Amino acid sequence: MSIDRRGFFSWVGGGLAGAAAASLMLRDGTLQAAVPSESNPACPHFAPKANRVIHICLCGAMSHLDTFDYKPGLIAAHGQALKSSSRPDVFFGQVGRLRRPDWSFRKRGQSGLWISDLFPHLAEAADELTVIRSMVAETSNHTPATFQENSGFRLNGFPALGSWLSYGLGSESDDLPAFVVIPDAREFPPGGAINWSNGFLPARHQGVVVRPRGTPIDDLFPARPLETGADSAARNLLADLNRRHLDDRAGEDALSARIKGYELAARMQTSVPLVTNLKGESKEVLACYGVDRPETADFGRACLIARRMLERGVRFIQLFSGGTFGSPRRNWDGHENLKNNHSEEALRIDRPIAGLLRDLRRKGMLDDTLVLFTTEFGRTPFAQSAADVVGTGRDHNPQGFTVWMAGAGLKHGLAHGSTDEIGWKTAENPVTWPDFHATVLHLLGIDHQKLTFYHNGIQRRLTNVHGEVVKAILA
Amino acid sequence: MKSTTRLALVCLIFIAGAARSRGGDGRGFDASVAPILARRCLDCHSGADPKGELDLSRRGAALAGGATGAAIVAGKPDESLLWERVESDEMPPKSPLSKDEKTAIREWIAAGAGWGTDPIDAYQVTTSRRAGRDWWSLQPVRAVAPPEVARADWPRSALDRFVLRKLEAEGLAPQPEADRRTLIRRLRFDLTGLPPTPEEVDAFLDDSAPDAYERLVDRLLAAPDYGVRWARWWLDLARFGESNGFEFDEFRPHAWRYRDWVVDAFNRDLPYNEFARLQLAGDARSPRDPSAVEATGFLVAGAFDSVGQTQISAAMRAVVRSDEMEDYVGTVGQTFLGLTINCARCHDHKFDPIRQTEYYRLASSLGGVRHGERDLSDIDPPALALRREADVLTSKIKEVEAPARLQILARRKQSPDPPPGPIAAWDFDRGPEDRVGALKVNLKEGATIGPEGLRVDGKTGYAESPPLPFELKDRTLETWVKLDNLDQKGGAAISLHASDGSGFDAVVYAEQEPARWMAGSEGFVRTQRVDGPAETEASRRPMQVAITYAADGAIRIFRDGLPYGKSYKSKGPRTFSKGESRLLFGLRHLPPGGNRMLSGTIVRARLYGRALDPAEVAASHGSFSDFVSPEAIARALPPDRRAELDRLNGELTRLKAALAATARKAYVVEPREAGATRVQIRGNPARLGDVVTPGGIAAASGLNADFGLPPDAPEADRRVRLANWITDAKNPLFARVVVNRLWQAHFGAGIVETTSDLGFSGGLPSHPELLDWLANELVARDWSLKAMHRLIVTSAAYRQTSKLNPAALKRDAGDRLLWRKAPSRLEAEMLRDAMLDVAGKLDRKLGGASYFDQTVTKAPGTSALLYADADPVQPGRSRRTLYRAWVRGGRGGLLTAFDCPDPSTTAPRRAVTTTPLQALALLNNALVLHLADACAARLVRDVGDDPALQVERAYRLALGRKPEPAERAQAVAIVAKFGARTLARVLFNSNEFLYVD
Repeated sequence: MSIDRRGFFSWVGGGLAGAAAASLMLRDGTLQAAVPSESNPACPHFAPKANRVIHICLCGAMSHLDTFDYKPGLIAAHGQALKSSSRPDVFFGQVGRLRRPDWSFRKRGQSGLWISDLFPHLAEAADELTVIRSMVAETSNHTPATFQENSGFRLNGFPALGSWLSYGLGSESDDLPAFVVIPDAREFPPGGAINWSNGFLPARHQGVVVRPRGTPIDDLFPARPLETGADSAARNLLADLNRRHLDDRAGEDALSARIKGYELAARMQTSVPLVTNLKGESKEVLACYGVDRPETADFGRACLIARRMLERGVRFIQLFSGGTFGSPRRNWDGHENLKNNHSEEALRIDRPIAGLLRDLRRKGMLDDTLVLFTTEFGRTPFAQSAADVVGTGRDHNPQGFTVWMAGAGLKHGLAHGSTDEIGWKTAENPVTWPDFHATVLHLLGIDHQKLTFYHNGIQRRLTNVHGEVVKAILA
Repeated sequence: MKSTTRLALVCLIFIAGAARSRGGDGRGFDASVAPILARRCLDCHSGADPKGELDLSRRGAALAGGATGAAIVAGKPDESLLWERVESDEMPPKSPLSKDEKTAIREWIAAGAGWGTDPIDAYQVTTSRRAGRDWWSLQPVRAVAPPEVARADWPRSALDRFVLRKLEAEGLAPQPEADRRTLIRRLRFDLTGLPPTPEEVDAFLDDSAPDAYERLVDRLLAAPDYGVRWARWWLDLARFGESNGFEFDEFRPHAWRYRDWVVDAFNRDLPYNEFARLQLAGDARSPRDPSAVEATGFLVAGAFDSVGQTQISAAMRAVVRSDEMEDYVGTVGQTFLGLTINCARCHDHKFDPIRQTEYYRLASSLGGVRHGERDLSDIDPPALALRREADVLTSKIKEVEAPARLQILARRKQSPDPPPGPIAAWDFDRGPEDRVGALKVNLKEGATIGPEGLRVDGKTGYAESPPLPFELKDRTLETWVKLDNLDQKGGAAISLHASDGSGFDAVVYAEQEPARWMAGSEGFVRTQRVDGPAETEASRRPMQVAITYAADGAIRIFRDGLPYGKSYKSKGPRTFSKGESRLLFGLRHLPPGGNRMLSGTIVRARLYGRALDPAEVAASHGSFSDFVSPEAIARALPPDRRAELDRLNGELTRLKAALAATARKAYVVEPREAGATRVQIRGNPARLGDVVTPGGIAAASGLNADFGLPPDAPEADRRVRLANWITDAKNPLFARVVVNRLWQAHFGAGIVETTSDLGFSGGLPSHPELLDWLANELVARDWSLKAMHRLIVTSAAYRQTSKLNPAALKRDAGDRLLWRKAPSRLEAEMLRDAMLDVAGKLDRKLGGASYFDQTVTKAPGTSALLYADADPVQPGRSRRTLYRAWVRGGRGGLLTAFDCPDPSTTAPRRAVTTTPLQALALLNNALVLHLADACAARLVRDVGDDPALQVERAYRLALGRKPEPAERAQAVAIVAKFGARTLARVLFNSNEFLYVD
């Protein structure tokens, strides 16, 4: 039967551990040798530091210059023209005068990490952060850059990081999917579901969208009310029908797997609403995430639900901050007035993320959980305006920008890599997205070169043919 | 087995070489040293950009050495850098040479480092690491005789003898023929994607003729449903999506033409070679045949980065185009040839004998391919006939109108409506000067001024005024512009532009919607859709277009003297400060480039310091045009002539509606001449290598891979030659690939399991002779796919039961030897279609525009579209699933749960997974519940209110059989208590419904 042998049992057995067992079974049949290699060693390949991930994904390109990359050189050069032999090839073509950050920077915590006043709450968690200030992206076009941030490739049709982890590790629980996505409450990111696509991996590795309010996932409950008793009567009849059908077909694994699927579905109907129901959380916890404040309620809720899902076995949760590139602005794309734009966006997430880190630490979860905070690229040190003007916005900058990680297996309170004097181009220890992904996989106990899936002639990897683990940030 | 064979081969070569002298003579080198170099060194140390600048594939280069100096000192291994690195296991990195390999290298250098074939022919033979030109799938298809078998009574055809031979060799036996009920359900889904009706089942059971089965097959192959089912099979390969993907994910309203072409081609049984040729080059071969043009939808069915394609940076645009070419080359190679040519974009193929230059020869062959929407009405015979009729009618109308028009124009000349007074005015047909003030424009790049007006070229040309010496808040921009073509997108005739680049207001053509005028603004902050009609005139005569910006934020567009679409309220007019703004002509906003440039002639332009009212705009219009409104003409005509005019106009309106309804637009290849293609070193368009000529893959034996064209040949010629090369009966891959795909579709797995990769990384054929036999049959049967379907489904192998034989399962779990007909799960589309059909709701209308089962939201202030699942129970949404709008961004819900692939990537074989989300979707989805209700209503219609009869009918409809007595009692009880819809919901969820034995 042409069934995906990794696909028998929901999300748990879906990991490569399950696949390995299945392929052991297959090896009894001596005629299987013609299938391209499915001989991935079971994941994890070595002892993981982290067992689960929250990925906070900022759409629109957060300015590193105004947040985590302190550049006295830029402050000093404010108002001057860029000194460069060649004209920068920026997205909107305008190169204005150099512009200082709109927020003051301070040294924070024991570690003395520089963080600006844009993130006052997050700054208090500075000693948890592992900042990479030397990221480089391949394109200055938002959506291909976002695809690369999430899948390693600039194009549609490649599996997202979460899909790879769903494929490689599966979920820790049968009641919840391995890969969950919570989009910005205002709007989906541009491209919608393309961002959490399974690509060429089996469709069950696509991210499952969870709504923080209302019915958490599609089709969890009947679309219209059923008569009392009708649902359980139907399930009983279905079970009988399927059992009789299977009696004549003993040994058909796919059929028994489907029967099991209905049992798991019933369990999900109980377990999923419990995760998104925050009634049991104390006032203090709700306040810690900012659920009690209108400006942070959306993202705070998303963060808290993410923590609750991780506790119950979800492997990878992606939270989006920001929607499409429209007007009025509703993501981090501060072309016109960066100060207003970033103030509005940061306000929504600063307190919730700080609360999330504090809560994860308090619960001991940060010891084996990884938190990622990324954006597709950074912004230019020069304003986006006429050449002789210090305009109020900044253009796209893929040549140097900042992301951070926190949690398991990392050196905390550290800043890795650097950009040049004005924060334009990466100067030391450049880190590419494949490097970043290789490092994330490494922390999860996965050798990025060994997590592969055959597709059209290639054993595909998240990291393509690239990727070096950034050892300097590992504890 | 595979690797053992390869190893043996390598050993053989090695031993043969060792037996001879390993010394300096050429033959020895070719036999013993060259294979080692080829296998272990040349992946990095050859090609256009060898590592360490050391190229070991050529004698001269190898002796000359690389960045660190001479690599080989003949006769002196110990002084040779090559030996030093190899001996110390530094090279090759990660997997050092074996002792024997090292010995061979050392002895070769010691003996004088003689060279044989130069450059080394790395592709000559297959090694343990890569395929050579001798790879099985690259050899000509052999003529094979069906083998002898022991059980002569089992085979129904030659095909079965190949199958049985293998089974017998493995000591396995096939299963007996399945019963008729099973066979008709299997055939019906396989050939048409729908379940058999109870009446069809009965008729087949009652048909005692010996050819009952064959006639059923013929009937199903002749049904239009056949094309609908098999089109999906092909569209999976074509990565067919109806939206762009990427940031905007714009919908392609005319992409369905290609889908319909595929359905029709299958139903007509278009020969497969012609089927392929048209998809690759239909427009080039038959430019006057709209259907042939529509076939090229295949090439452009993938995603398209509209933002990346128009970004300012030329370097980044080149990368996007380069990615686009990989999509074309990859899809064509995989789909028709089972070759992953795309793997050779950055370097020679790691596993198959495909040079990097050959990737670029393919890229050159497809170098003119561009995404586009074409209006095929000009070559569509019915539309042409209508258009001729409309022309006749129009001249009749003009005749009737003429006296009135002349009269009105004469009167107008005597007492014209005074036009309003502008604060700046240009008559470009007279020069660049401002007729009111001193704002003489400067011409930039490709802009010129002549007797027609200001010419802008759509590439670099525009005109710019000096800074405007007044503050502007409420205002009017007015222009008379003639467009070079109506297909252009995004240029502006006039733009009021803040000097610091912080904002602009512009008269923009077709930026967000094709052929529509729009009030452009920075980030679209003051832009909205006005739903004006598509422009049809402005390419023939200068068109007045004006936009008024009122103090209260109201924005209104005017065209040809009349309001255009609806007006709207913006958040207020932007203030442009005195001395800090300019007017641009021919450019939407700075900097010049991208889609911001207009291509056309701007005849005159006006700037007013207030929002004109409609009468003023009309007066301004009237002062420069002899346009007379239809109303004025009607008033001026005598009653009888007016009635005649009304009649003619009514007829014309009907004709125009008919024309609009038959307008034939399609999302297809819109080719552009391409110039010469150059190799991109490491796949980087910024690093160009040699020029290549259009061509194919030389390793495909038996035909010439050179297309005999110069590098800059017309793009149409290139694609025609490519199509001919691919579909050549001598091409060893073309027929093998498609018969293998058919095999997979009927049996669940191909003879080669990796159906889009018959190269080294793919699988080996389970029945190599059968594959060749089938390929020959396809050619012998004039490339008829229906004939191949018939051949396969009438075989004894296909007609077996699905019964599981534990001993055989242990031996061959994947059923590759076909010891049974493995059961299959319905594909997502079949599942939905079957539910619709059982519920009596299936709308069998063929063809036409796609239906939406999503809501489409345009995100505010951007072109981005977002798609979300919508209530699936709407009129027009009960068509076969093939006809839904396959957008890229809107995946989710029932179809995705059941493994519908991501349309952004080719899906040569769908995964079949089982998850709890499937159970939830099938139990709870609005569509399923709605169809359960509909099914209950149908049961009442069919058999009345008796639960027992309803149960029997429901089982027959859904499962093709009557309920067993025990089932019947249980089901009747449930129907009596909860209604038949509860039973229908159960049947839709049952394994028996979802799986086909």
